[in-house]
Amino acid sequence: MASVIGGTGSFFGPWRENHAWAQGAKPIKLGLTCDASGQYGNSGQDDFRGIKMAIDEINAKGGVLGRQVTFITADTETTPATGSRVAERFITREDCTILIGALHSGVANAITQVASKYGVIYMNTNSSAPSEAGENCSRVKFVWDGNGTNFSKASVKNAVDSIGKNWMLLTNDYVWGHTTSAATRTQVESAGGKILDNLLVPQNTRDFTAYLLKIQQAKPDVVATAVGGDDIKALREQVAQLKLDGKPAWINNQQDWPDVWGAPDSLFGVFGTTWYHKLPLPGVAEFVKKWQAANKDGPIPVPGNVSYNGYMSTRELLRAIERAGSTNNVKIIKELENLKVSATDRMQHFDAYMDPMTHQMQQAIYLARRNAKPADNTDLFEIISWTEPKSAADDAAPGKCKLTPYDQVPTVDS
Amino acid sequence: MFDLLPHLLNGLTLGLLFALIALGFMLIVGLMEQINLAHGSLFALGAYVAMQLTGPRPPLPAELAKAWLALPLGWRYAATLVIAPVIVSLVGMLIELCMRRTYGKDPLYGLLLTFGAAMVIEEMIRLVWGTRDYVLQVPSAINGGFLFGDLIWSTYRFYAAGISAGVIGLVWLLIEKTSFGATVKAGAHDSEIVRALGINLSRLRLLVFVFGTMLAAIAGIIVAPIWGIRPHMGVDAVIPAFLVIVLGGVGSFWGAVVAGLLAGLCVGLAGAYASEWSLLSMYILLVAVVTFRARGLWGKKSVLEA
Repeated sequence: MASVIGGTGSFFGPWRENHAWAQGAKPIKLGLTCDASGQYGNSGQDDFRGIKMAIDEINAKGGVLGRQVTFITADTETTPATGSRVAERFITREDCTILIGALHSGVANAITQVASKYGVIYMNTNSSAPSEAGENCSRVKFVWDGNGTNFSKASVKNAVDSIGKNWMLLTNDYVWGHTTSAATRTQVESAGGKILDNLLVPQNTRDFTAYLLKIQQAKPDVVATAVGGDDIKALREQVAQLKLDGKPAWINNQQDWPDVWGAPDSLFGVFGTTWYHKLPLPGVAEFVKKWQAANKDGPIPVPGNVSYNGYMSTRELLRAIERAGSTNNVKIIKELENLKVSATDRMQHFDAYMDPMTHQMQQAIYLARRNAKPADNTDLFEIISWTEPKSAADDAAPGKCKLTPYDQVPTVDS
Repeated sequence: MFDLLPHLLNGLTLGLLFALIALGFMLIVGLMEQINLAHGSLFALGAYVAMQLTGPRPPLPAELAKAWLALPLGWRYAATLVIAPVIVSLVGMLIELCMRRTYGKDPLYGLLLTFGAAMVIEEMIRLVWGTRDYVLQVPSAINGGFLFGDLIWSTYRFYAAGISAGVIGLVWLLIEKTSFGATVKAGAHDSEIVRALGINLSRLRLLVFVFGTMLAAIAGIIVAPIWGIRPHMGVDAVIPAFLVIVLGGVGSFWGAVVAGLLAGLCVGLAGAYASEWSLLSMYILLVAVVTFRARGLWGKKSVLEA
């Protein structure tokens, strides 16, 4: 009878607070929440390639804490509802104790809600709404990409001073677009510029002619876009066709490599990135070779910022587990909160660190433009500046981010 | 007023593109009473096949490929505009042959079959061309921009609108002014009588489906340089196509054309003056119309209004 009661107790008991799986040599199972379709389907699969490479590397060295790392992945369809469903299934039915992957901030936020409920660590690899490390932050979530504010801080003041004060915003009508444009507006106004108009672009817009006519009528000095995924690709095609890429000047908040690779001829304006495969830094060329060996015959021949963030976040997670000597979620969280990575290890120009107040990786922010003299057919970017983490930091984020105390985080172990 | 004119013109050109996208869909619904949910995937396939033919590596034997690539892009593009729809029509033919067993049965079977076909085609596209994006090269004569009314306009957009108007006119002539069109319409209206007259109805349906497929492929080729080419581009096409035929009235040729223009005007004007409503505006238009006229603008009276 006691065993029956005990069994029932553990089944119906307070498992949110004590969600423990059997210990031993069983693999550590990760749930990869990568888009495979929808607006960020292409980028989601590039994210996956980086994540998988980090997992394969650690397994080749014998795994983590002597345990192999396995994973399951499912298409989150660039849809918050699907992301939420996938996360719930990965945690409750597939026994995943860590989730990794995101491009779309709405999807990332939906996954965060589920991960927070169960105390499962979630690595937000590539979604870059400032709100992800601000009002939508979470004790269990770590954000690895630069966000809209970081890129705005790196670019706007110089553009107001050197190009002009009259700006227009072109904003994808969802959380990333809104928060990124809000950051740009703040930077523009504090630098003495003026926002003439903010044109909101619904997601899945394929025809930008109305917007481009409106921009021509308003005659701004600079257009700052916060348009992502397939939408920015269509916009780029149409701007390039009209040869509107010279005047006004364009600041495109961030250009993800998979979005650029498909249509390099339409690359225009100045844009942000966190990494480039031709950075003249130690380790970059070796990393590119390793990535190419791991992704033979892939749709993209070199790693870009998306794959890089997928790789770096997974590698640092697995190292944090190793350092913690445990798969206990709070122990891993504490390791990640104290994370510092040297510039050499990150293959960036400056040392990077995890902000313990916001859980966003503070790193070098690069500004780039189209490369007029490419060394080969992958050399699409010309890096024009690199900003150190503290200069690009989102100062408002710590005030907006309220992290749950450790003792209120449900315990999770693999 | 002068600020408004460019947006009216933009709305009309966009409307012609919407009408072109919906044309093949409308023909199959109107003349065969079958909803072809694979329309968007056939639209995408048209763009991919055209991209492959005009690109640097056409799927031809080495010598033939060399001769083909030696042709100026303008010639290759013009030939592709004919060849690609013919190639895609073979897929349409296959779908119609599979659909035959569903005729006369619950329409759900046809819907499920074409939905399945759409998924198969999209996955096939991913397998063959991968998930990356492509660009359809177009001749320089129809590329770039021109200055009009102090604004730069896309040459290609006006070319696309012109082609759309031309194709719409040709389809109207075929349906309204030829014996083939008369037979097809008669077959849709009363298949038993048409069969009794000795006309092979199966062949007629096949021809209509193939024709609708070719129109989907042409729309894909025309729209590709504006939207870009990616595996799920068909979803972006099938939704406005569905909206346009419901708005115009199922089976009405001119209903679809006018509905396309109205939807284009809505999206174009909203894009300029209430940008966040641009895509939603055409759905609001649809809701407004079907609330008061469930059959659509030019649709036949149905049980919805009984």
